[in-house]
Amino acid sequence: MGLMKRASFGVLAGAVIGLTTMWADAPSARADDIVLRMAVPDWPPTRIMKDLADKYYKAPSGNHVTLEPDFIPWPDYYTRLNASLTSGEKKYQMLVSDSQWLGAFIDGGYYLKLNKFIDADPQLQAVFKDLHPNLVADYSSYPHKSTNYYGFPQMPDVLINYYRKDVFCDDGEQKAFKEKFGYKLPCDPAEMDNVTWDQWGDFGKFFQRKKGEMLAGKTLDDDFYGISYQAGKGYDFSSMQVLTMMYQDGDGIAGIWDETKAPNSHAEGVVNAPTAVKSFEHFLQLLDYMPPVAKTGTMDIFKTDELFREGKVASNIQWIGFAESTINPETSKVAGKVDFSMIPGTKLASGKIVHWANIGGQPFVLTTWNSDQVVKEALDFCKWWLSVDTQKKFAQAGGQSGLQSVYSTPEYLTYRPWNRAFGPSLDWQLDVWHVPPFFELLVEQQEEFDKAITGQENAKSALDTIAGFQENLLKEQGMIQ
Amino acid sequence: MAVTASGVRARGGFLALSWSNWPLALVAALIVIALAIWLLPGTAAFWVGLAAAAVVAFTVVAFAYGRRNNGALLVAPAVALLVVMNIFPLLWSLGLSFFRYKANSIQPPAWLGINNFATVLTSADVWDRLRTTGLIMILTVSCQLVVGFLLALLFEKQFRGRRVLLMLVLTPMMLSYVAVGAFFRYYYEPTFGLLSQFVRLFTGEPFLLLNTPWGARAGIVFADAWMWSPFVMLLVLAGLVSVPSYLYEAAEIDRASWWRKFRTITFPYIRGLLLLALLFRTIEAFKLFDVVFLLNEGGPGTSNETIALFIYRQSFQYNKTSYSTALAYIMLFVVVVLTNLYLYAVNRRARETA
Repeated sequence: MGLMKRASFGVLAGAVIGLTTMWADAPSARADDIVLRMAVPDWPPTRIMKDLADKYYKAPSGNHVTLEPDFIPWPDYYTRLNASLTSGEKKYQMLVSDSQWLGAFIDGGYYLKLNKFIDADPQLQAVFKDLHPNLVADYSSYPHKSTNYYGFPQMPDVLINYYRKDVFCDDGEQKAFKEKFGYKLPCDPAEMDNVTWDQWGDFGKFFQRKKGEMLAGKTLDDDFYGISYQAGKGYDFSSMQVLTMMYQDGDGIAGIWDETKAPNSHAEGVVNAPTAVKSFEHFLQLLDYMPPVAKTGTMDIFKTDELFREGKVASNIQWIGFAESTINPETSKVAGKVDFSMIPGTKLASGKIVHWANIGGQPFVLTTWNSDQVVKEALDFCKWWLSVDTQKKFAQAGGQSGLQSVYSTPEYLTYRPWNRAFGPSLDWQLDVWHVPPFFELLVEQQEEFDKAITGQENAKSALDTIAGFQENLLKEQGMIQ
Repeated sequence: MAVTASGVRARGGFLALSWSNWPLALVAALIVIALAIWLLPGTAAFWVGLAAAAVVAFTVVAFAYGRRNNGALLVAPAVALLVVMNIFPLLWSLGLSFFRYKANSIQPPAWLGINNFATVLTSADVWDRLRTTGLIMILTVSCQLVVGFLLALLFEKQFRGRRVLLMLVLTPMMLSYVAVGAFFRYYYEPTFGLLSQFVRLFTGEPFLLLNTPWGARAGIVFADAWMWSPFVMLLVLAGLVSVPSYLYEAAEIDRASWWRKFRTITFPYIRGLLLLALLFRTIEAFKLFDVVFLLNEGGPGTSNETIALFIYRQSFQYNKTSYSTALAYIMLFVVVVLTNLYLYAVNRRARETA
């Protein structure tokens, strides 16, 4: 019924447009009304985009171009988008896509390849040169790290460390920590940048307090916990953190099937390599110092965010995208008491501290069913979005920019307290698979991680199961020889 | 049916080219649809199929109009809607289950015969999910029957505040699944949750319900039973109030025990309704998705993943479209069998009592 209704509406709209163009044909230069309908998750970065587009975007062609985002709640986003794309309704001209979805939807022929437009347009070339290379690789290229480009950053995001400066910088706590662990409890963001996961575990141990005990000179009216990070079963709410720790221990891509070397790379022996098992054990061990919900498989990124804003945790590893609400007194009990640093690193045998991490955030892409005129307008819009001026406005309103000429200016650091951690973190970003069966890989991995997190299984046997599953699946799909 | 057939014969037989010859149109449509699926690309085949279905619907209407069958004409719009919105997609997906097809792939569907069904039935994962579903189903339905029954016994009597209390008890049934799922997630949450706060009064430690398979299962069963026991209560209550009071009075004179009264008077009256409640709740529990998904996505691991959740993953996350339709048809078959079993039981009772 919906289709029929739309069809008849289309006929009607066509007739109306026909009439109006006949009407408007008289003056020589005519401006078309073009609507760029865009599927976006409903959260601040996309709301800001709509806001800026409404206020400032004037199409260089002289046409009247409006951005019309379809704001879809995050938990529903993949399902709704997937339904729209696979049903063939061709509703959207642009859409926000998680980087992992690239392969699955490029394979279906939904995402527009940008190479020929980039080759023909020096302005686009300049944009791609100015973007951080990790963002180009993770958000735009498919096959991963090839020179086929599809996406532009909408909201680049990385994991950072949110911590309570009122607790960490308290003199009494500083003294007690030094006595107990023999080194200084970090307080400045610069000090916190150099922390390792082992030290972070010490903070967990140190700040785990019962109701009635003292914390930073005050009596606690509820239990308090030192640390928290994502360890949930839904979507990718444990993989992102587990892989981050595996990458660090392996100094680069590790603990994961390397799609860039397919079909010669394997899952078996890599996913369950001894270093990966050690990293995962480390991940599990740190759960002991987190709020107990960490061991139920429901500690997703929304739960860690809530625990931190409720003031139950001293230090939380979280995406930058959540930061705005922690410093707003209306949504946060810890507003004014928070500081931000890079995530903890791992000290390699060589003495070097590495901060490898799994990238967050999303690119946006163009779809394949648009007329040449709409494609041109959409690309003009992308160029406007990725212009220095617009990206600055986006960052001032609370977004992040992937343009080196924006995020590496001193001015950028003054927009938000966490911006200082953003640029340096970008250099360390890696990403999970982008291949079409990513969701099968992800769900099975999340299930096995969940068994280990809830204590049904140990790290080794979970990783063995994952490795076997991935080896089989990827062999079936011809991605492993 | 005999009347219809003779009606067609009277107008010139099966092969007559007339707008009211619906059996011919039906056969022709089936052939056209089969050919379209075989020869045309998926999208074109779909629209051709839909058009063929529409032609059949039209001939049926014309047939009814020709025979001045006003009743049939009046229901025609509803039937047409049903055909277009339900029956055609249902048959279409049945057809799809015999092909290899992924919704997000540009590869056209390829004929696979009954391979999808064979894969489904031999898959250890599917049997594991079916066992999980069966277990949860038995637990939650028996909980609902017991609690619902006890509630009905309570509300059968008149007492002060009965109406208000009855309304409160009925509320869960009217809430949306999503709200209930989100609510119980908070209820079981160890840091802020009520359950954990309560247990902490005694043990001093936060209580983790969801980190063992049986704990999570108990959580699911409790949430589902909380929501649906009132439904059972409503049905049973209807049975209880329909028992004529003179039977109890007579039993009173005979000094029959409580149990005897229940067994020989009350139970026969509510037996049919209890069976109906059992039927409804079993079918619903077999399809259980929302609470499980919202609570912890069937965790820990896959220990509480129901078959409905499994199908959701195959279909909407992995886009294994034809495989998941095959699976969905097997589920439909199970539900149909269950329904028929219960209907058989209900009918036999009806005959016995009649």
